[in-house]
Formats: sequence, structure tokens, C-alpha cells
Amino acid sequence: MSRKFLENESPGWVADGLISEAQRQQLLARYPPEAQAVGLLPLLGSVLVGLSALSVVAANWQGLPAVLRVALLLGSLLGAYGAGAYFLRRGNADLGHGLIGLGLIVFGASIILVSQLYQLVGYDVSGLLAWVVAGVALSYVYGSRLLVLLTVVIGAAVQTYCVQVLGSFSYATAALVAVGLGYYWWRRPAVVSSTVLATGLLWQAGLLVIVLHAKITWFFVPAMAIYAAGDWQASRSGARALQGPPLVAAYLFMVGLATFGETDTYANVLRPPLLPYLLSLGAVFAISVVGKRARGRFDTLLDWLLLLPGFYLPGGLPLAVATLVVLYAHAGSVLARAHRQQDSDQLTVGAVLFVVATAVAYFKLTWAFLDKSLFFLLGGVLLLGLSWYLRRRNAQTLAAAPPPAQPAASKGADEATQPS
Amino acid sequence: MPDLLTWASDPARRRPLLRLLVAAQVLYVLGVAGAGYATTALGQHIVLATTPVDPRDLLYGDFVRLRYAISEAPLSQWRGETPPRRRQGVFLLLATGPDSLSTTVGVYPKAPTAGPSQAVLRAWVTDVYRNSLALRFNLERYYVPEGSGLRLEKAGRRHPLRVHVSIAPWGQARIARVEDAGAGRK
Repeated sequence: MSRKFLENESPGWVADGLISEAQRQQLLARYPPEAQAVGLLPLLGSVLVGLSALSVVAANWQGLPAVLRVALLLGSLLGAYGAGAYFLRRGNADLGHGLIGLGLIVFGASIILVSQLYQLVGYDVSGLLAWVVAGVALSYVYGSRLLVLLTVVIGAAVQTYCVQVLGSFSYATAALVAVGLGYYWWRRPAVVSSTVLATGLLWQAGLLVIVLHAKITWFFVPAMAIYAAGDWQASRSGARALQGPPLVAAYLFMVGLATFGETDTYANVLRPPLLPYLLSLGAVFAISVVGKRARGRFDTLLDWLLLLPGFYLPGGLPLAVATLVVLYAHAGSVLARAHRQQDSDQLTVGAVLFVVATAVAYFKLTWAFLDKSLFFLLGGVLLLGLSWYLRRRNAQTLAAAPPPAQPAASKGADEATQPS
Repeated sequence: MPDLLTWASDPARRRPLLRLLVAAQVLYVLGVAGAGYATTALGQHIVLATTPVDPRDLLYGDFVRLRYAISEAPLSQWRGETPPRRRQGVFLLLATGPDSLSTTVGVYPKAPTAGPSQAVLRAWVTDVYRNSLALRFNLERYYVPEGSGLRLEKAGRRHPLRVHVSIAPWGQARIARVEDAGAGRK
């Protein structure tokens, strides 16, 4: 409940006799006004200061003697960490973490600039690897969301540099982020870190596929391994936050396949050798299913619909129709699950997915095969029919089973386990 | 259950751990600088001929991208039993000619022992062609004072530059300076 809501509504409660004026004041005192954006300010601040320091120093860099340059870098490094520790002791956690993050950024800048100073910048990534190690270690010590985020970004940046400039993939960087921060996520699955972590890892997985010149569909093996890790996570909200990015990637791929996959040229680019691909994806699927069973989350099993390897079908109409069927089935499964759990957010997501599937189908099929008005009619009837069926089923389950409080209670418990 | 996170983020342990981490980072940066000094102080000096291409980096100021005469070696100089592969680490045996420029004597999969007036330079295979090998040495970027990158590049288009390289006893190589031989000192 936001403070603003309380301020706006509470006079009405007093007028209606729900609470007294004294109680209203107590309630207001209980939720002191706090600026939510303040949490973001240290992050932005440290990034800006870091960038400005970098550019000022870089502009005059060549004029300074070498010893002074190293001293300048180490001085700002010690200054940032020292100030961070000082503010943390004073209880200003946001600023403290921001300054420690700044220290981490200065450390990376120091490695780059000092290597440059001595002409040691080459094709060696081991120097930058120390940056990722420092990021992971600081995240552990401070348990700060900001530092975790920064480390994920640093890992992705180092990997991008490695791939772009050196043309090779740094497995050590990927392993450090996956294992180091993966363990962190396993213990403290705070929502923001989970989504960011999954996105950072997907980025690295994508780079790996590029470096190996593999078929892009191989991307989904590591991506779904991240998803499967979510199935073993005890906290459901943390799990779903981690599973979001892989699912979005799989969904976008499926939509792309439905939109562009009809020409056989595209389809051929996507086909890895059948047996190894299916075996590896099958192994990840098995891990995911066992995890879902252990945590009692079979309701999300239909997420895997998006991973059906339809691209092995001959291109053209069969592929387009198959992907559309999958898109519709997936949207339907999300809608059905949202209805069962009375989750209005998921209901919106499901409806959007349904509309997207319909839009794709409209562009793919109507021009060639169906009259447009007839198509819309079919789509609308389908949607109405589904909603009617879901309502009916809902009513039946409500009538059959007494506790309507069940979903709400489990949801509340889920929120309680999630650290804020 | 032992939890590494709880252990590491214990407030009592936080201060010593931060000190340790910061000290490690300072030492690391000093180590990078020390490696730079030591390579020049203790290393063997050779001179390589180049033509630079493609100056300017967006963030880090100016650097010149250098291409060496020894960046390409004929396959006949390959001294390995199995054919070279891409990304393989190799060793170049260099000999100093009468013009004090070093040229390739052979490309080895394992470090060869250098004779008098010879040097061993670490290299990586970037491409294997039908008759030759493309190599890189981690020496392809030279960071130069603002503006002079363009000067060097223009000079390098007219005639080869002379690059002074120091090779440390432990194999690390770095550019000591780049000389525009045609127009005197850079």
C-alpha cells in the first residue's frame, strides 16, 4: 500500500467511522514518506561520476607522468571504497553501496588504463577477469542488489569485449557469473537480481552461439537450462523472475518463426543435427520436469510448448500453421493458468499473447487462405468460447471445492517468503 | 546449513573482508604496472617492421592498429608435426638481420631455444590459408599521445614503421616505442 493511497483515502475512513483521527495519524506515522527513486539515484550518480572521471582523466591522460597516472587511479579506487565503507557505517546503505560500486568501476578502469599505459592491452582477457572476480566477491560481502546488478553488467561487458575484439569466448567469465551469482540467486532470489541475472546470462549464451558459429537454435539449450534452474528454486517469485527472460526469448523466436519461417531458406539455417539437439534439449526438459514435480509446479509445464522444435518441419505452410497452433496453445495455457490462480496480471499477459498470436495468424494466413472478415469472426468466437469455458470451469471448481481462500493464501505465503 | 552468503555478509567480517578485497585490487593494478616495467627492464629487445592501419578508438583515446611484416608466415616455416589450427598458441623464432629488423626463422608449436641474436615471440594463429599462416602477437595496438596516431598512420602508409618490442623472460611482450624511420623520431 502506497503512502499516497493512504493519504488520499484515510480521511474517508475517518468520515465513515472506520478509524479515528488518532488512528489515522498512527497509520500515517507508520508509513513515513520515502522517495522510491532514491534507490536508483546512487546507481545513476556513481555511473555518471565514474564516466566523468574517466573522460576528464582520459582527456589529460597523455600529459601526466606514468607514476602520477597510477597514483591517481589507485587514489580514486581507495577513495571510493573508503567513502563507501564510511557511509555504510553511518547507516546510509544506498549511498554506501553506490560508492562501493563506483570503486568497482574504478578498478576496471584502472586495469584498462594501466595496461594501456604500459602497452599491455592486447588480446588477453585475464586482466579483465579480475574485474569480474572482484564484482562477485563484493556482491557476496555486501549482499547488495546494486552490486549484483553491476557485476552482471560487468560480466556481460567483459564477455562482449572478448567476443568482439578478441574473437573468442571467455568460459571463465561465463562460469564466474553463472556459478558465483547463480549461488547468490539460489540463496537470495530477490526479484530484480533474478531477471537481471537471467538476462546477463542469456546475453553471454548468445555470444557463445555467435562465436561457435552454431545454429542459433542451440541458444535455447543454455537458455532453458537457466529456466530449469528456476524450477528448482524454493521461492516461486524468484523462480518466475529468472524464468521470464528465457521464456521471452523462446516466445520471440516462435513468433519470428511463425512470421518469417515459411521460406525454407530460413528454416534451414535453424536446423542443428536432429539427434544431439533433441537429446540436449530433452535432458534440460527432464531436469525441468523433475524440478517442477519436486516443487509442485506442474501448472507451468506448458511453458515448454514454446520449445517445440517446429523448425524441423518442412518450411512453408506446415511450419507456419504448426507454429501458430503452438502460439495459440501457449496463450491458452497461460490464460487457463491465470484463471485457475485468479491472477489478473497473468490474465492480461495471456490475453496479450492471444492477441499477438491472432495478429500473426492474420498477417500470415488471411491474405492467401481466408476472407479477412471471416478470420476476425473466427478469432473473436475462439476468444469468447475460451473465456466462456474458463468461467464455467472456474464456477465448477468453486462450487466443488469449498476453500476459495486457497489461492489467495498460497499467494500471500509466496510473497512472504520473498525478501523485499 | 553453512551458507557462504551469510558468512561473507556477516557485519563483523565485512570490514576485514573489504580491506582484503581492496588490498588485492590495489596489488593487482600495481602488478599490471610492475609487469610493464619489468618487461622493459629485464626483457630482450627486438625491432619489427610494420604498416599501421585504422587509427582511433572511441573511448580510450588514440591508438594505432599495427600490422607486422611477420604477421603472415609461409606454411613452409611451420615446424610442427600436425598442421596448425586456428587459435592455436605458437612460438616464433626470430633472427635479427643486418638492418636490425627481426624476421621469422620458423614457427613452432612448442617454445624453441633461441640462439645468439635470436628471440622467441609468443603468437596465436588467426587463420590458416593454403600456403601461409596469419598470426597475431597481442602487439597489434599501440596507444599513442593525442593526435599523433594520425601522423603515424600517414607515415605508415608511405613506408614501414619500426616498432621496438621488449620480450620478458616469462614470455610477455610489449611495445616499447614506435619509430617512424623515414622521418626521424615520431
